[in-house]
Amino acid sequence: MTSPAGHRLIPHTADMGIEAWAGGLEALFVEAGQGLRQMLVGTAPVYAQRTLTVSLTAGDRAELLVAWLNELLFHFEVDGLVPAAFRVDRLDDTCLQAEIGGELFRPERHPLHHQVKAVTYHQLILERRRHGWFARVYVDL
Amino acid sequence: MSLRIEQIDACRWRIPRTGAMRTEGLVFASAAMMADLRREQALEQVCNVACLPGIVGPAMAMPDIHWGYGFPIGGVAAFDATEGVVSPGGVGYDINCGVRLLRSDLEVAELRPVLNRLVDALFRNVPSGVGSERRDLRLSVAEEQQVLTRGAAWAVKRGFGIPADLDHIEERGAIAGADPAAVSARALERGRCQLGTLGSGNHFLEVQQVEEIFDPAAAEILGLFPGQVTVSIHTGSRGLGYQVCDDSLKEMLSAARRYGIELPDRQLCCAPLTSPEARHYLAAMACAANFAFANRQIITAWVRETFEQLLGRGQADLRLGVIYDVCHNIAKWEEHDVDGRKRRLCVHRKGATRAFPPGHAETSAAYQSIGQPVLIPGDMGRYSYVLVGTAGALRETFGSTCHGAGRVLSRHAAKKAARGHDVIGELASRGILVRAAGRGTVAEEISEAYKDVADVVAVVAQAGIGKIVARLKPLAVVKG
Repeated sequence: MTSPAGHRLIPHTADMGIEAWAGGLEALFVEAGQGLRQMLVGTAPVYAQRTLTVSLTAGDRAELLVAWLNELLFHFEVDGLVPAAFRVDRLDDTCLQAEIGGELFRPERHPLHHQVKAVTYHQLILERRRHGWFARVYVDL
Repeated sequence: MSLRIEQIDACRWRIPRTGAMRTEGLVFASAAMMADLRREQALEQVCNVACLPGIVGPAMAMPDIHWGYGFPIGGVAAFDATEGVVSPGGVGYDINCGVRLLRSDLEVAELRPVLNRLVDALFRNVPSGVGSERRDLRLSVAEEQQVLTRGAAWAVKRGFGIPADLDHIEERGAIAGADPAAVSARALERGRCQLGTLGSGNHFLEVQQVEEIFDPAAAEILGLFPGQVTVSIHTGSRGLGYQVCDDSLKEMLSAARRYGIELPDRQLCCAPLTSPEARHYLAAMACAANFAFANRQIITAWVRETFEQLLGRGQADLRLGVIYDVCHNIAKWEEHDVDGRKRRLCVHRKGATRAFPPGHAETSAAYQSIGQPVLIPGDMGRYSYVLVGTAGALRETFGSTCHGAGRVLSRHAAKKAARGHDVIGELASRGILVRAAGRGTVAEEISEAYKDVADVVAVVAQAGIGKIVARLKPLAVVKG
């Protein structure tokens, strides 16, 4: 964790993980979303040409993070929305409202890095650490 | 976490009960495999499964065990019908991911001249990779509901294959208890355009040759002979299954809280088998399983069509028949003898294959004398195996055995190992043609990423939880 906010992909024998860190919870959700985007299509620029508003609930904040990432995945797979930018409008312990901006999936523009089946709850971490918030999720590839 | 592991014999290891474990762990592995396993988290996951309520017998792991999420991959666990639980994480996201093996009357020499064109045509005709689909197969909402309840039989009725195919599929291609009302609108939406698609990752379609026969009598009943061309299909329930699992995990997380079930890992969330949440999950899981059976059935029809077109010969001549079709991610109601008493159990197999013996009521009529066929794919550069189930498996592992090679390298490490190599070119020089939607997938799926499946089936055979019949060598591979 060298910068105040960021994300990185971490290895797992069969699958992969995302670690994200940020000063605030909203920024943490944004970083985790960027991590998933990186896993799906890499780091090439994607622009927020269209937007989508989502409203999610879950049992607690960690589960909300999983729900958020699975929501991004659903819209990627079903609507072909490659996520680019995120705005968190409301976030509490069990509820998230956010806007997802992105562009429509085109294989020639968005080289697919990994097809992600789902974001899991395995060894899920979302916690406050000394310098801010930290999260780790594993995905099923 | 340092685990105490006791060696029982050359291929069995016990993890004694400690802490919150309700039973011991039993791992099938060679000493060399165990040395590798001690370095990763899969054994800890065996212990976590052993903590779940109502587990019957040990929490088991097959020799292809590796680190999964929640349950280890290669995990088998059975639960009592009244005291036990069902855990969607113990089935996995790709519900009824499985393998189907087709035989043929073709010999490899007949195929060689057209192999290049054949693999191109298979790659074209069977959608693989993200977002690919056949425009000529679009399901209406009503049709999708039929797929979920009738599975492979729906596909046959729609003209994909013949009724005789159903005789050679686990559960005849439809698991009972499927209720489409238990499947969310989102899961239905994800599934509608993905029926008849291979997907990506470790899913594949492979044209193979029978390289060696180990059990001639069983091979003859299976219709296998040396030099013969076979085709393997490895895929599952696609986005529909992933969504069913994800929806159910959310429900099970709150159910586990409500029923006071302590979870060593949230991914193990579960509900008592007697609860409405469990019934709901099992009804949805059966739908996803049936979707997967239909998926492999449709792909089978396209494989047959492609062979016919390329070779200009009909089915009467090619005889591309289904040898068998197995699930390796599933939870099933089964009756087993436990300490001399018949008990109804919910057997979870996550990256494990059912391996029922000769004479078992659930073994297909055609295979009553040899046992249920068990299909064990290896990696794309080496070989796959055909086994049959045994009485030993029924006695010791609730009739279960391994499902594949099992990964040893992470995808990242595999990519690194493949760097500087022309993986596709190197395989081609060894006579294995590969077509893939994404180049990254090929690097991640290199042989070195997997255990040698020969070692895995050797442990299975030594332990008596499967009997080796034949080894198949890849000729052409289609990857997502």
